[in-house]
Amino acid sequence: MHRRTFVRLLAAAPLVRALQTPAARPPLKVVSRYPAAAVPGMPGPFPGEVASVTSDRCLDLTTGQADDGVVREMMAEGMRALTGAASTGEAWRRFFTPADVVGIKVNCGGYPHAISAYEIVAETIRQLQGVGVPASQIYIYERFQNQMDESNYAPRVADGVQIVAAERANRYTDNANYDPETYLEANLFGEEDTRSNLMRLVSQRLTKIINIPNMKDHGATGVTGCLKNIAYGSFSNVARTHERGKSHTYSVVGTLATIEPLRSRTVLQIMDGLRGVWHGGPFARTTKYVFYPRRILFGTDPVAIDRLLLDIIDNKRRAEGAISIWDRSPASLRMNDGAARDADPNVNILIREPGHVEYAASLGLGVYDLNRIRVREIAI
Amino acid sequence: MTPLLLSLLTAVPCIYWTGGAETRPAIEAAAITRLCVPPEQVPAWASGPLTPSPLSEADLKARELLPSPGVAARSGLASPTRMPWVVAGGWRMMRQPSGHFAYVVPAGKAALAIAEAFTYGADAVVRIDPADLQAAGAMAAFLETIPAAELTPVADVAVVDDGSPVTGEVLNLLARRNLLFRIVSAPVPDAPITIRLGTPEYPAAEAAEPSAFALKIRGQVTDERRALRIFGSEVVVGRLTAAGGRARLQLLNYGGREIEGLRVRVRGRYRSAKAYVAGSGPLAIEDQATGDDATEFTLPRLVTYAAIDLE
Repeated sequence: MHRRTFVRLLAAAPLVRALQTPAARPPLKVVSRYPAAAVPGMPGPFPGEVASVTSDRCLDLTTGQADDGVVREMMAEGMRALTGAASTGEAWRRFFTPADVVGIKVNCGGYPHAISAYEIVAETIRQLQGVGVPASQIYIYERFQNQMDESNYAPRVADGVQIVAAERANRYTDNANYDPETYLEANLFGEEDTRSNLMRLVSQRLTKIINIPNMKDHGATGVTGCLKNIAYGSFSNVARTHERGKSHTYSVVGTLATIEPLRSRTVLQIMDGLRGVWHGGPFARTTKYVFYPRRILFGTDPVAIDRLLLDIIDNKRRAEGAISIWDRSPASLRMNDGAARDADPNVNILIREPGHVEYAASLGLGVYDLNRIRVREIAI
Repeated sequence: MTPLLLSLLTAVPCIYWTGGAETRPAIEAAAITRLCVPPEQVPAWASGPLTPSPLSEADLKARELLPSPGVAARSGLASPTRMPWVVAGGWRMMRQPSGHFAYVVPAGKAALAIAEAFTYGADAVVRIDPADLQAAGAMAAFLETIPAAELTPVADVAVVDDGSPVTGEVLNLLARRNLLFRIVSAPVPDAPITIRLGTPEYPAAEAAEPSAFALKIRGQVTDERRALRIFGSEVVVGRLTAAGGRARLQLLNYGGREIEGLRVRVRGRYRSAKAYVAGSGPLAIEDQATGDDATEFTLPRLVTYAAIDLE
């Protein structure tokens, strides 16, 4: 039995905006020779529209294991709801053709408890193959090979799918897989290397990208959703944007996401909310801060989905008695003290910048205003 | 002051070795050809093809000891991964071009110390850990293959050196940030920026915070006009020399890990480049792009040392 409701969200309760002034925005210079598509993938054909599919049956709360069959059903419902297509296959054909070379940007940073779900990734690949995209033209990608190795998608997906990473690990020594001519240049903290380069896979091989982030808290950005996953997961040398309590993620996340060809080729957002992380993100080495929204969001507008995510994470934190992701109080700040942050959800290690989502909207990446975001709610 | 021409012909440092002539097979296996040994051991080495130079412990101690090169964590200031603190001695050698230097380095550091001394053309002796024999020999042998070149050091700024520790730390920070400088004894008219501590523009108090001071200099030079930029690492230090449409860039990797795809920007238009990379030999550079007033290219790999000749 399916229950569908079409909901226009009312304006949410005003967020506590005290002390929300973001860090002074540094000059950012974009270098790219790639033109934008006529309709860039972000925000794509469905700005301000989100299909939200929930199911109590998608995951066993005692084991954390997902139910593959229910997830497939959620995926089908979500894609049809987003596109209005009569069939699931038609919904996928709205975005992809057999000639496409498709990248699936997963998130492995939350291993082992909150990575892009195997079931969602596998179903995405099945649908792409259904469209006619050969497995050899499908790439699951991340920045760091060691994270991909841990997450180990290979046995869970079709044979022949490419699984690639740009760097062996987060050691800042492997640059060969980044495009030297496509980058963001910014001097944020006086660092010598002022460039963040786009992965060659994105600029030179892929024609389309599906972004599959998780619902996670993040110590620098407030949340890590569609924007953060596609931006910081496709460019080099991004950890430099936040240190010693200060984060330049407010403007850098969105600006990276606008860089062509990343912006034009990222055509579909599937936010994995089967599991989530409400504090200590982007990591989830223990289940201490893991929760289970049991929800998947579908859209082409990364801002709209991330706008919903801000409330999902902040509401969960409030329910747990933790400080808001919008908290900028120096009293909450324990700079560089990851252990204190992990022990106490009322500790920040940086002044977070959840305003990066609204800033991304100002760059044309999507709709931030809740009054203009339409959410099609589906419960299975 | 006219900048010195830098000759790279005879700059491979001597490896200080006390192991005795009975270790000759190991030395020869490591292909080491320039050896310094205690004077009393020299006769024992005389029967073989290798003729070591005598150097006593006292002679070694009389030389200026250079720090073991590499990176270090500094609490509150730097960490090995995010803000590495590079320990480099090149600025000391630039400060005393006719000085006599020594390294006493632990295992794993010999190759970098040898390459550092070579890069700055210094008279240096390197006391190595026996475990580094092969690495030291390989680096020394590789450096012998680098063609000689007489080129002039390129500089973004001139620094009036009063010999003080504060000025020394400024030189250290400038070098680590690849803000190329030349050392002068008095202000020079041909330098666009001359730094003299104690002047209104460069108060001595400012230099007490050398990192911030180096950033100020960087801002004055501007990144766009800097002679050398390195992208893809914060632990590579370069030395650039040039003359008559030719240039040589020497790169030292202090991080201890191989770097793949190091991007380099050099001011000036160069059409061809030949890279000599320790551990790899000659390598083709990649993704070369020449703009109006700068040349960019990618060095495919850098373990410890590379020299790139540009024309």
